[in-house]
Amino acid sequence: MEIEHVTDLIPAFALGCLDEDEAKEVKQHLESCSECSAELRAYQKVVDHLSFGIKQFTPPPEVKERLLEQVALERVAPEEKKREGLFSWLKDLFSPQRLWQVASVLAILILLVVNLLQWQQNTSLRAMTRGGATAQAVSLTGTDAAPKANGFLVINNSSHATLVVNNLPVLPESKQYQLWLIKNGQRTSGGVFSVNPDGTGSLLINSPQPFADYKALGVTIEPKGGSASPTGEKVLGGDL
Amino acid sequence: MTTAEVSAAMKFAAMDDENLIRAVTQKNAVALEVLYDRYGRLVFSMAYNVISIEAVAEEITQDVFIQVWQRAVTYNPGHGKVTTWLASIARHRAIDVYRRQRSHPDEIDNGWEEDSYELPDSLDLQFEVESSEQAGRVRTALNQLPDEQKRVLALAFFKGLTQQEIADEIDEPLGTVKTRIRLAMQKLRLILVD
Repeated sequence: MEIEHVTDLIPAFALGCLDEDEAKEVKQHLESCSECSAELRAYQKVVDHLSFGIKQFTPPPEVKERLLEQVALERVAPEEKKREGLFSWLKDLFSPQRLWQVASVLAILILLVVNLLQWQQNTSLRAMTRGGATAQAVSLTGTDAAPKANGFLVINNSSHATLVVNNLPVLPESKQYQLWLIKNGQRTSGGVFSVNPDGTGSLLINSPQPFADYKALGVTIEPKGGSASPTGEKVLGGDL
Repeated sequence: MTTAEVSAAMKFAAMDDENLIRAVTQKNAVALEVLYDRYGRLVFSMAYNVISIEAVAEEITQDVFIQVWQRAVTYNPGHGKVTTWLASIARHRAIDVYRRQRSHPDEIDNGWEEDSYELPDSLDLQFEVESSEQAGRVRTALNQLPDEQKRVLALAFFKGLTQQEIADEIDEPLGTVKTRIRLAMQKLRLILVD
């Protein structure tokens, strides 16, 4: 059977101006016809030559500038960009310079929170003092061992009270502050507490006897967990 | 520019096209810059001859070189020279843009629309070609074609029109267009290739 070549269509095929059906026909034929494939190569060379006969125009210099800018942006591969995106954030966060900034911000936040808590505590204590008929506030002052320290005890009812302290030194882990309720020279423990790094602290007290029975109170430094009777230095004191 | 950059630029400037492309595949921006210096004009000229709007031709030129930057690895020396490859990418890209604009008449600049088939005489003696032997040969070959053959050839080459579209455009029978294309191509082959 004689092969039907597509010789007449090949020039237009090389130029890309055949209709879709004709182009498909040529492609199919080329798959199995070396003679027509050689023809095509020759006509493709003609098309290649035509590119060099075109009228010349010079692009403005901005085209090159924009191209090089874009290339500079694309030089970072997408994967690297992803990695960089994730790690550069962390790297940046933990850089010495950034660390100081982060630490400063955290310190300010902590101070804000502590102040806010203290303000809330004070407000609620003042409200309790004002509102409750039985509420009574007793102030405590620092001794020579802690001259800047102060505090007050808010007695809610006969046997419940809250102690709030300020400016007490932070103790080593092995030590705690202990509240003593004093009656006729006898000291009963009101509980132990530690203070925050800023020297503030509080303690809820459930007294075994009505507060009215006690004459005075004091705070001493004791071994962690407290003592049966005061053994350490007194830091705060006040009269009931 | 540092001494190292100058020496790198000189190294690439001395390279042939294929080695430049190889360097571009390794993401060497200086190699791409040298390639642009060599063929930016060719690519821009191709785009401008197709599209006739400078801003669009600039954009196409930039796109073509970005495509080279991203896919230089697709260049196959067995299929032709780097210049041929670049010209082909530029032509097809520009024709794509041209056809998209043509199918959306609202987006076409009026001046461009009026002049759409007033071809830029790119295939005749008026063009200012690089004083290369190749360009001279092409010019001589094209000048041997009758005007009506040159015109259908230009509509196919620069505008990407099919033979049927050309026939519709110049209001001639399809058979006449086919014959002109075939005769023009055969003549050019005889002069330029064989």
